[in-house]
Amino acid sequence: MAESPARTAFAEEALTHLDTLYRGALRLTRDPDQAQDLVQEAYLRALRYQHSYQPGTNMKAWLFAIMRNLFWDRFKGSRKEDVSLDDVGEFILYEKLRDEGARPEADVLDKLAASEVVEAVEKLPPLHREVVLLVDVEGFSYKDAAQTLGVPIGTVMSRLHRARQQLQRSLYDYAVESGIVHGNGAGPVPQP
Amino acid sequence: MNCNDCKDKLDRYVDRELNNTEVLELKLHLEGCPPCGDQYEFQAHMKRLVKVCCDKDTAPAAFREKLRQILL
Repeated sequence: MAESPARTAFAEEALTHLDTLYRGALRLTRDPDQAQDLVQEAYLRALRYQHSYQPGTNMKAWLFAIMRNLFWDRFKGSRKEDVSLDDVGEFILYEKLRDEGARPEADVLDKLAASEVVEAVEKLPPLHREVVLLVDVEGFSYKDAAQTLGVPIGTVMSRLHRARQQLQRSLYDYAVESGIVHGNGAGPVPQP
Repeated sequence: MNCNDCKDKLDRYVDRELNNTEVLELKLHLEGCPPCGDQYEFQAHMKRLVKVCCDKDTAPAAFREKLRQILL
């Protein structure tokens, strides 16, 4: 049966956001097959609820909201599984590196493997991970992120702040483990 | 603006969420305060690093085609 032109146009526009949805799903599920299942289900649901989308509003945010709600419903079972992040202190990586005499950006950040950064993001609790995905990776405003996640802007800000602190802690641990810094106050590892 | 005010607003500055007046005040502070300036550079660098490392993945072509078959 031929689809209506309006439905086809809607689907075409929705598919322009596929990479954003797929990346988000991949980071949330940490599994390519589950990510594809999640995204496919999200698109089917989006078409089913096309009437609830207001043209001219942020379709990417609307689609992402559908996808992440499905994630929480189907993959996590209960939102209570998420664990909160303790306050790990301000600028922990920055301060530690400076204390150790390293140049934080050139000596450390630029030497981290992309896979380690991705792993650090994926280690964040999902409620914090999704804020980083929206704001840092996809460039959402706080307002759009808040709308997408169904939380106040203040919650977006606090989750983002804690997520960044945790990311710094994870990356510092990696930098020590991989020998980029000594981790004992001895400064960066000399390069040959 | 003092260093504590700056620290409170640094996330929003990095995320371009401050209004024009706040941006001007913060820029002025960063120019005159090397420690805060360094922290800003570090946070901005971290944000770029996360984006660059995490936005490489794109939907596989076969999956895109499969969705087109299903949806269009």
